[in-house]
Amino acid sequence: MALLEVDHLSVTYTPRDQPANRAVHDVSFHLSEGEFVGLLGESGCGKSTLGNAVLRLLSPPAHITGGRVAFDGVDLTEADDEQLRKLRWVDLSTVFQSSMNSLNPVIRVQAQFADTFAAHKVPGDVTERATELLELVALDRRVLRAYPHELSGGMKQRVALALALALRPKLVLLDEPTTGLDVVVQRGILTRLAELRRELGFAVLFISHDLGTVLEMADRVMVMYGGEIVEDRPAAEMLREPRHPYTRGLLGSYADPRLPDVRVSYIPGRPPDLSRTHAGCLFTTRCPHAEDPCRTIHPDLLPDRGGLVRCLVAQENRLPVVTLGSAEAATVLGSHFPATGSLDRPADAADAAPVLTVERVSKRYTSRRGMRTNTVEAVRDASFALRPGRVTALVGQSGSGKSTLARLVTGVERPSSGEVRFTGEGGADVRVDRLRGRALRDYRRHVQMVFQDPFSALNPTRTIAYALSRPLANFAGLRGAAARERTAQLLESVGLSPAGQFLDKLPHQLSGGQRQRVVTARALAPEPRVLIADEPISMLDVSIRAEILELLGDLVRERRLAMLYITHDLLSARLLADEVLVLNQGTLVERGATREVIGSARDDYTRLLLDSIPNPFGKAAGQQTLPST
Amino acid sequence: MSTPAPAVPAPGADTEGVQAAATAVARTTRLPGWFVILWRNRKCRIGLLMLAGFILVAVFAPLIAPYDPRDDAFPTSLGPTGSHWLGTTAQGEDVLSQLVVGARTSLIVGLAAGVLSTLIALVIGLTAGFVGGWVDEVLSFLINLGLVVPALPLMVTLAAYAPVRGLWLIIIVISVTGWAYGARIKRSQIITLRTRDYVTAARFAGDGTARIIAREIVPNMTSLIVVGFMGAALGAIGGEAGLAFLGLGDPLTVSWGTMLNQASLGGAMLTGQWAWLIAPGLALSLLITSFTLINFGIDALSNPHLRED
Repeated sequence: MALLEVDHLSVTYTPRDQPANRAVHDVSFHLSEGEFVGLLGESGCGKSTLGNAVLRLLSPPAHITGGRVAFDGVDLTEADDEQLRKLRWVDLSTVFQSSMNSLNPVIRVQAQFADTFAAHKVPGDVTERATELLELVALDRRVLRAYPHELSGGMKQRVALALALALRPKLVLLDEPTTGLDVVVQRGILTRLAELRRELGFAVLFISHDLGTVLEMADRVMVMYGGEIVEDRPAAEMLREPRHPYTRGLLGSYADPRLPDVRVSYIPGRPPDLSRTHAGCLFTTRCPHAEDPCRTIHPDLLPDRGGLVRCLVAQENRLPVVTLGSAEAATVLGSHFPATGSLDRPADAADAAPVLTVERVSKRYTSRRGMRTNTVEAVRDASFALRPGRVTALVGQSGSGKSTLARLVTGVERPSSGEVRFTGEGGADVRVDRLRGRALRDYRRHVQMVFQDPFSALNPTRTIAYALSRPLANFAGLRGAAARERTAQLLESVGLSPAGQFLDKLPHQLSGGQRQRVVTARALAPEPRVLIADEPISMLDVSIRAEILELLGDLVRERRLAMLYITHDLLSARLLADEVLVLNQGTLVERGATREVIGSARDDYTRLLLDSIPNPFGKAAGQQTLPST
Repeated sequence: MSTPAPAVPAPGADTEGVQAAATAVARTTRLPGWFVILWRNRKCRIGLLMLAGFILVAVFAPLIAPYDPRDDAFPTSLGPTGSHWLGTTAQGEDVLSQLVVGARTSLIVGLAAGVLSTLIALVIGLTAGFVGGWVDEVLSFLINLGLVVPALPLMVTLAAYAPVRGLWLIIIVISVTGWAYGARIKRSQIITLRTRDYVTAARFAGDGTARIIAREIVPNMTSLIVVGFMGAALGAIGGEAGLAFLGLGDPLTVSWGTMLNQASLGGAMLTGQWAWLIAPGLALSLLITSFTLINFGIDALSNPHLRED
């Protein structure tokens, strides 16, 4: 008997004002003791709903509308609260997506452990046991005395993991445990998780949209699309030969940035609307291999080469064979985005006069606590230049000073020493570090930002047309019909067409990718000469990241923009940037042409960043890329 | 509590749940959805109906009231009879007519003092929260002062020593003593809202501070402002009744407070005129109850988990 058995489970959201939405539809799977299973899919595919259904944590308007979940022989769908209480955490625990919010902010870490032990009547000394648990996740015992806000995101996530393991559960459900964390921190947590599982032998259901991490960690991977499982097979097999076109599309988003020719693909289109019924295969509209029967016959999840797949074409063995991670794969898999190395660039770009020059800039923050003053040097002696038509990537992990540099460049803050100079049209120099008031506002006309999180960069109460009309009114003096016309043109230029469809929508009616396009359009509205993009793709689904990168790349070339691309993700830097600057603790440690810096990194820190990128193909090729951090 | 987006958007918040919740709340910021959610909540619906009843009575008071509330041509201290349903006062006025007209006073005071103190709270709270620095220090000091000064004694003192009398004096006294709490809440809310990316984005789009506050931030704290208004209006109605009961109200205005005051002076307890005593008190508590019930619905508006789906 398997540890967790899910049989024909369906979950439906029935909100009052919207049509019912079947988020999970007829899902069956088994999970054996000690097995590590990945559950993969993009936003809205129902993976978290499935996870919550397994834990019986669904809240209205979501309801289990069919099927059953059995854990260790107990039917969870029928169990009452008392039975569930005995099971939860003792045998079945979880780490939620944002542990920042799952730890109680007003009590110390030790008290959180004490609560857990007390609730389940565990005898013995709390401090001793908690220390042991913290050691498991490689945390110092001093953490016990800390409040959650005193810990970094990675440390909080480790505490949450230690709490989940506190009662030695048989199954741990991890819902996007490392999303939002830095690559290097993520690597550390995942490495520790893999070691722990080997030591303690618990089973894991790992929910994530990040195929790279899932494939690297899991024994078996289930891919979800539109509330259904579309493929289920051992990770190694899936890497060798993914059988569903959707899985192939997801895998196409990965590549090794160190290769001489890097291409990634993306899946165009949007996931299906689950409130309507669809006749054929749900993936048809986005599928490069769709055939006529796919539009009318809904495929079943059938055994196929050692796994299960829900695809008519694959079941009849008519999928083209590709080698994933190779250059030609991206072309076969549909839309693709080649790295800039192979693009035609204006020949003069490299030596065009810089628009923005940063010279020996430092920034110190002084904080005072009681009698002591504390000085932190966020940026130390940094110099670089941005040129029209070129993308400069600023790479580093969180806390390395990337965002501080962006604030200095945009005039939000002033450097403690050094100069930031902007060369306006006609060659007049502007000292950005001395601007204030009106002059600063005029400068911002030329320097615009694309924000990291498209969900918070647009005001939820304002329409798209309003958001775009503001820079037009303030900088170009356009109002009324003229502004609306220009707004429509801007939307078309970022690929949102027909623009009429989007003008009067509110941000929440758009997908993440569409929002990021709107944010980009707003940045383009004043016709800036410099664009600062602060991690513009880190909040987006992996499958559409390349799409936004392609848009940014095209804009830079067509409009001869100078772009500062801030990221911790070296693959995207490799794809988009001409030049890379690596920032470690406020100091630029390495710089040069993208291909040279990434292809043959000289600095240890750059290599650490490179090794932290989830690289499923490295595992496939038998190369262990796990560093010993 | 009033932001349509979750207060702290989880990093990488791409999971279905968060997005669905945000979607649902954002829908409600448009007026129709806003009302639908209030109406759907059973407690709130009862409150709205009760309040609508009071408003109708107040608006059509001259038509509903059987007599002029100041007409003292009737026999004094009558119990409930056919021609005077709730009896008459010690001066020979009709109690029912006073009760009906008194609804006007309570609602006008509630509305006017509610709006006034919400405005004061908005201006001071938003300025303190958005500008920060020494402006915040000074305004926060004022707010804290307003919070710790006991409101009722201050109201009594102001009302007793003011050189003028009248309903507007009462309204101003209540507003001046009651804005601090709302200002405090609005200040802390704007401190969390002003660091949002869309505010930075508006600055990059060239918008000025006043416009950013009015167009980007205030729409995102609508439900907080409404809750603040309801609280202030509630306090004002109670405050007016309290002052009037203590004899500090405007003797020329007919209100539930002055009715209670006169009932106690006129010895309603001794003459057994329970209707004269109970009717204004009951009306007052029903009006306050209706506000409280509506507030349940407003809570549901700002927190989707409280909705009755």
